[in-house]
Amino acid sequence: MKVTIKNWVGVATWKWVANDDNCGICRMPFDGCCPDCKLPGDDCPLVWGQCSHCFHMHCIVKWLQSQQVNQQCPMCRQEWKFNNK
Amino acid sequence: MSLKIDYNDSWNLIKKVFPILDESSSKQQEASENEFYKTLSVIENLNLAEIIKTMILTRVEREIRESYVPKFWSYFVKVENYEEGFFKFSKAINFIHDCFMQYGSLFLKLKILNKKLLPESNIYGNEDPVDALRLLFRATLLSQLPIEHKDIIENFYIIALSEENNRDIADFFNLSQQSENNYNLIFSETNRKLNKLDLLEPLVGQVLTSLIYTTIENHVQKTCKDSFDSSYLTTLETWLETVIIPWLQTIYCSEYASVNEEAVKRFQRKLLNFLYETYAKVRINQLFNIIIEFPESLPALEDLRLCLQKTDLRSVLIEKLQKSMETRLLHPGVSTPDILTAYVASIRSMRVLDPSGLLLETVTQPVHQYLRSRDDTVRCVVSSLTEEDPNDLAEELVRGNAVHVDENALSDEDAENWTKWMPDPVEADPNKSSNIRRSSDIISMLVSVYGSKELFVNEYRTLLADRLLSQFSCDTEKEIRYLELLKLRFGDSQLHYCEVMLKDVADSKRIKTHIAQIPEYSENFNMSAMILSAQFWPALKDEKLEVHPKIKEQMALYTKGFEALKGSRTLAWKNHLGVVDVEIDLPDRKLNLSVTPVHVTIIMHFEDKKEWALDELSRVMQVPPTILRRKMGFWQSYGLIEEVKPDLFCLIEEIENSVSKAASEIVEDYESESAMASAQDQRKEELQTFWSYITGMLMNLDSLPLERIHQMLKMFAFQGPTIECSLQELRHFLDAKVREHELVYSGGLYKLPKSDILT
Repeated sequence: MKVTIKNWVGVATWKWVANDDNCGICRMPFDGCCPDCKLPGDDCPLVWGQCSHCFHMHCIVKWLQSQQVNQQCPMCRQEWKFNNK
Repeated sequence: MSLKIDYNDSWNLIKKVFPILDESSSKQQEASENEFYKTLSVIENLNLAEIIKTMILTRVEREIRESYVPKFWSYFVKVENYEEGFFKFSKAINFIHDCFMQYGSLFLKLKILNKKLLPESNIYGNEDPVDALRLLFRATLLSQLPIEHKDIIENFYIIALSEENNRDIADFFNLSQQSENNYNLIFSETNRKLNKLDLLEPLVGQVLTSLIYTTIENHVQKTCKDSFDSSYLTTLETWLETVIIPWLQTIYCSEYASVNEEAVKRFQRKLLNFLYETYAKVRINQLFNIIIEFPESLPALEDLRLCLQKTDLRSVLIEKLQKSMETRLLHPGVSTPDILTAYVASIRSMRVLDPSGLLLETVTQPVHQYLRSRDDTVRCVVSSLTEEDPNDLAEELVRGNAVHVDENALSDEDAENWTKWMPDPVEADPNKSSNIRRSSDIISMLVSVYGSKELFVNEYRTLLADRLLSQFSCDTEKEIRYLELLKLRFGDSQLHYCEVMLKDVADSKRIKTHIAQIPEYSENFNMSAMILSAQFWPALKDEKLEVHPKIKEQMALYTKGFEALKGSRTLAWKNHLGVVDVEIDLPDRKLNLSVTPVHVTIIMHFEDKKEWALDELSRVMQVPPTILRRKMGFWQSYGLIEEVKPDLFCLIEEIENSVSKAASEIVEDYESESAMASAQDQRKEELQTFWSYITGMLMNLDSLPLERIHQMLKMFAFQGPTIECSLQELRHFLDAKVREHELVYSGGLYKLPKSDILT
């Protein structure tokens, strides 16, 4: 007997490879989207800082804009730098 | 003038003028006019007028009482048929009329006597002695009324009425003209006499009225029996005006009683009202059927609406309809889609009956309650909303957007149409705005069965997910169209999740084409994936399945492709979901099948190794043996696998005849299961969040009754956005825990089991 698979339609869920489930700023799941967005994934991406913390891009940008003096990571208070890995 | 009067002569003279006073009833010749006036002067001289008059009246009274009336009533005996009754009645009337006429000359004299000698007095309150005579007849007749008199009168009028009703037909055929004329003649003659005697109303009125009522009732019943597709109201009205009313007029309006014209008019109004009432009652009794046949039965409904405006049958209608709904619709024997269809039809037809919507609200209340108690209501509503073949609900959805009226704001339309504004009926609840009632459309009413949109939308989401994951086609055009329609109704925010779901499907398609270009991937078989945003889909059923290594390899490749395409993201496969096209080459045949991943994995393992013990395979595939056995049934039905020994399965490549026969007997177990976790499971999970509260509570307070637990949960745990949990639900949850030995229930108190505390 020989079994040949001609077409396989599977089901999978996608998720961000991150060290946490929820965004530290909006507390929404990373796999969802920030409160301002409607669509997850490409439209509401994550960004990582050099301190290894990650957030919804929209969330951290909003946070950084609200900071007058020092641009710090809201989690560890280190200076925020985008990690362009 | 001499003062001496010959009394004897005078008495003789008086007796001659008034023969009734003569006891010895010997026939004398008629007194002349001269003698009459002479008598008058004698009476005047002797001052006897009062006495003479009384004497005459007493005699007359006695005569009527003792001979005429008993004879008259003697006609009224039981008869065999209507015809006999007809003639008996007319004979009786003739007789009494003759008796009446017999007094004619006597009362003429009495009248003159009365006028000349006793101008102040009257007889029984009547100035005219003839009227008094009528009164006398009437009173005496009625004082001796026999029991069966009604039958004969009824016979008489039934015959007459049926003659009237048949006249058209008789005219047409020119049949029995003779006999008909005969009847008519007798009929009109009798009526004339009755009128003359002033006996029509007292003797006949009651019988006639009830006869006409029955006639109308029968006619209405006969006319509109079980046919709803045309309007009968005008037909019935004309029937009343052309048949019944003229007939009544011939009875009442003879030359003697022109005053009765007004009475007939009044009676006509009454009859018309009765007609409406009867018709409305007939229709109300049929209302359930009318509703079921709704668009075809519109004329009947229009009729009923008109009748309702003229009669006071609203409450009857509500009561009857609710009752028939309860007995015919709201019981377990009726399927939910049927109830929904009937419900939609009743919404539509009630709107015809009563634009204010109050009727609808009252009548459909029990249906609401009943639908709420059915589990599959929402599912049925949603699926019929989005069904492909046209049905009422889908039409309603396509027709247009719901008008969500602000409760307080007076809409422009209202302001413009103020002349047409109608106040709410008196029964209306003043707390509710009439705008809401008036504008409520079918879908929002259906949704309001459950009180919230969310439940409805959630159900739609599950249904959509089910459909997307069972078809695996990327053709979502239709779904998008429905989603847009639903969005018009429920608003964007509610259906946002569904939008993401559809976008996932579209994205999956794009990703597939991207990955197909990767060279090492395309070496192998074709694979694609539905890539879901887990947060936005309903909870998927969680089943474990370890797929065949070959497949795993390909999946890993696909994942890699995805990771390359979308930075920092990866895939988690739901191995048990999906659909596989597979070709199985056997020495003697070829099978082309479309199956689930579990089935494929089983057969692939058998390709590697011809014999598997159930345990072993279950370990490899990480599927519980019971489920695995069920799944193997699929292949057994194809005759590919056989259970040679208990729990030992073997691949069979070539079928012998005997085996195939046995195989065909195995029932195919290929049920289509929903990929979603059931609502019940989800709810259970929600309640599970309270479990820690409950254990904490019981740890501290030892044992608690159900109500206390519920109260405490209400105080501490139900705050915030968590869903409310009813006492009933909590009881179910706790009872389930008792069954799982995580709780002990005794004497109405819940307790943690002892061992639990010790450990």
